[in-house]
Amino acid sequence: MGDVSTKISIEHLTYKYPFAKNVSLEDITLSIDAGQSIGIIGRNGAGKSTLCYVLSGLIPRFFHGKITGKVTIDGEDVPTMPVEKLIRKVGLVLQNPFSQISGAKMTVYEEVAFGLENLGIEKDEMHERIDTVLRQFDLYKKKDENPFELSGGQLQRLAIASVLVLKPEILILDEPTSQLDPRGTTEVFETISQLKTLGITILIVEHKFEKLVEYVDKIALLHEGKLLGYDTAEHIFSTSEIETYGVGQPIYTALCKRMGLKKANGYYPVSFGETVALLNGLKGSGMDRRTYNG
Amino acid sequence: MAKNSKLTTAILVLIPVAVGINYAGKLFASALKLPLWLDSIGTMLSAVLAGPIVGAISGAINNIIYGLTTDPVSFVYALTSIGIGVSVGFLAKGKMFNNAFRTLLSGLIVALVATVISVPINVVFWGGQTGNVWGDALFAFLQSKNVGIWVSSFFDEIVVDLVDKVLCVFITFGIFKALPKTLVYTFKGEE
Amino acid sequence: MKVLSLYVENDTFIHKLEPITKLLYALISIVITFLFPSIMVGAVFVAFSLLLAISAKVFKRMLLLLNVVLIVLLSMVIIQGLFYRQNVTPAFKLWGLTFYKEGLLYSLLLIVRVVNMIISFGVLILTTRPSDLVDNLVQKGLSPRFGYVLASVLQIIPQMLSTTSTITDAQRSRGLETEGNLFQRFSAFFALLGPLVLNSLVEARERAMAIEIRGFSVEGKRTFVRQIPETKADRWIKISLYVAFIVAVVWRIILWVM
Repeated sequence: MGDVSTKISIEHLTYKYPFAKNVSLEDITLSIDAGQSIGIIGRNGAGKSTLCYVLSGLIPRFFHGKITGKVTIDGEDVPTMPVEKLIRKVGLVLQNPFSQISGAKMTVYEEVAFGLENLGIEKDEMHERIDTVLRQFDLYKKKDENPFELSGGQLQRLAIASVLVLKPEILILDEPTSQLDPRGTTEVFETISQLKTLGITILIVEHKFEKLVEYVDKIALLHEGKLLGYDTAEHIFSTSEIETYGVGQPIYTALCKRMGLKKANGYYPVSFGETVALLNGLKGSGMDRRTYNG
Repeated sequence: MAKNSKLTTAILVLIPVAVGINYAGKLFASALKLPLWLDSIGTMLSAVLAGPIVGAISGAINNIIYGLTTDPVSFVYALTSIGIGVSVGFLAKGKMFNNAFRTLLSGLIVALVATVISVPINVVFWGGQTGNVWGDALFAFLQSKNVGIWVSSFFDEIVVDLVDKVLCVFITFGIFKALPKTLVYTFKGEE
Repeated sequence: MKVLSLYVENDTFIHKLEPITKLLYALISIVITFLFPSIMVGAVFVAFSLLLAISAKVFKRMLLLLNVVLIVLLSMVIIQGLFYRQNVTPAFKLWGLTFYKEGLLYSLLLIVRVVNMIISFGVLILTTRPSDLVDNLVQKGLSPRFGYVLASVLQIIPQMLSTTSTITDAQRSRGLETEGNLFQRFSAFFALLGPLVLNSLVEARERAMAIEIRGFSVEGKRTFVRQIPETKADRWIKISLYVAFIVAVVWRIILWVM
């Protein structure tokens, strides 16, 4: 805490939804540096979405319930921060592309304007910001279309644009591709890599691990409300317990585990690139892959 | 996040959905050739979830939107829809839906409220008719027997409303009871 | 259908008027036709409203709107013509039934009122982008939260209805009885509406979260990406409407007293 590079700090966070029997988050402590990209993984009910809601302030403003512990962004307390300040710091993108559209606007352009209007941004600045994000996310040609006429991938990009136009320093994406086809998924991930270059701090909940590992610096593993690991992807996926948490692993890691192929640093590869490099290295050293069988 | 107001964002978003459920009810009823409207389930559900005020707003907006998009005449029946929303809201608060008998009683009360509000509108705008074939046939018959216009119009309306509203009330409660608690909680007004 | 709207895009004088001006015309013309139980007053407004519809090039669409109430209007002529309580003077006979003058005139009065209501509102609806009407009202002081409800309802309903066909297909493929006896069809109704309600409530909650994240509940001054301008014509029309309204009310009171 107090470190300039620490963007988000969570200490002993515990939260229980109203009417719920058990806590959804239990004694979570973690800190995220500015500009980092963090993947959040865990099976259903692990508390991934709940963590997103706490960081974006929906808990306790939208969902009440009991929250203890400390959550700060840039040293400021998130649960008590004024909303108008908080939304300039944190943006949230949800799963379902359709239900994130405000529904009150008849064109893509006006949809992006929704948040700016709420914040009372002056008209000139409004137009400038909207034009910028629409071009950035390749939606400018669609600006006069009805949002509901867009494809899933385009809608999800619109959702991201509508949040980013408010210029948040942190963007949280809660399973942004779970309802998209492969093409939409690719579109969204391309957008995310674009955001990384802008220096935005990114938290992303995602089940498509092969994609995820290529974009994140660290992974937080949640299980039944507890934080079980917070480390680089190769650390997280190389452990043998990972399968017992029911989250799965990148197909490349599973493959290499099966074949007993480790990298020089003792961890299993997590991405396609790493795996290929490893296999090429083996070939180059003249070793026969079959030796590793069994 | 709204201060000093029971109309939370969740409730505001619920209202269009309530109107949509009304539309869907009407659509399904006619697709299944059911001899009823069944077009106030959304209004009733919003009243049960979020109280009489929200029920009233859903009812009013239902008719405003219907008037703006399909049939301008339905504007004036906004009053009836408001009555339905308010009465269901209060009946739900008074635990008048706890068992089948009470629900039936509630259905009858709602039908009566709807009729009492609709009749003056029928008289002013349509000379007492409702636009429903069976109801209007009865109206014509009563008029020919020299029964007063108010009484004729009352019977015209209630034959149609009685079955429709009682059924809507039962359907609404069937659906409400099946909804997950965590979802129901979201749409409760802040007390 | 993505938006529940009858708006016909065009560029006429009527289209360019401020939505509130058109709303005011509809409201005031309706009130006046109901203040005076006179077929003449009603007919004048019907004619004027029709003129507006024609100049806005929406006459054909207007006929479709009127078509909705055609049967009720006809049944009104028949029922009132035959059974109106003050019927004394026979007008004509048809298939052995006597139609009376009083009833026919009464039904005519009702008809001009209803027809004016439909046409004057029709002009508003057919020539105004619905979201412009809402924006206009919000800019003139309607609560933006309430404005949101009005604007979103027009898009959320078609969205919900488009999912109804998916649900219908899904339930049919599971062998849902949609053609059977009354009881079977009622259970089918339940099976169709239940999932729709659950689905849309879950989506509603998500939408509420999404707009909260975009500052929906932030209090303070709002800005508008679409400003709806009030033209000179708007100002003059509004003034004349207010004057007409006041004259009508005063006249009505005078008639009453005398």
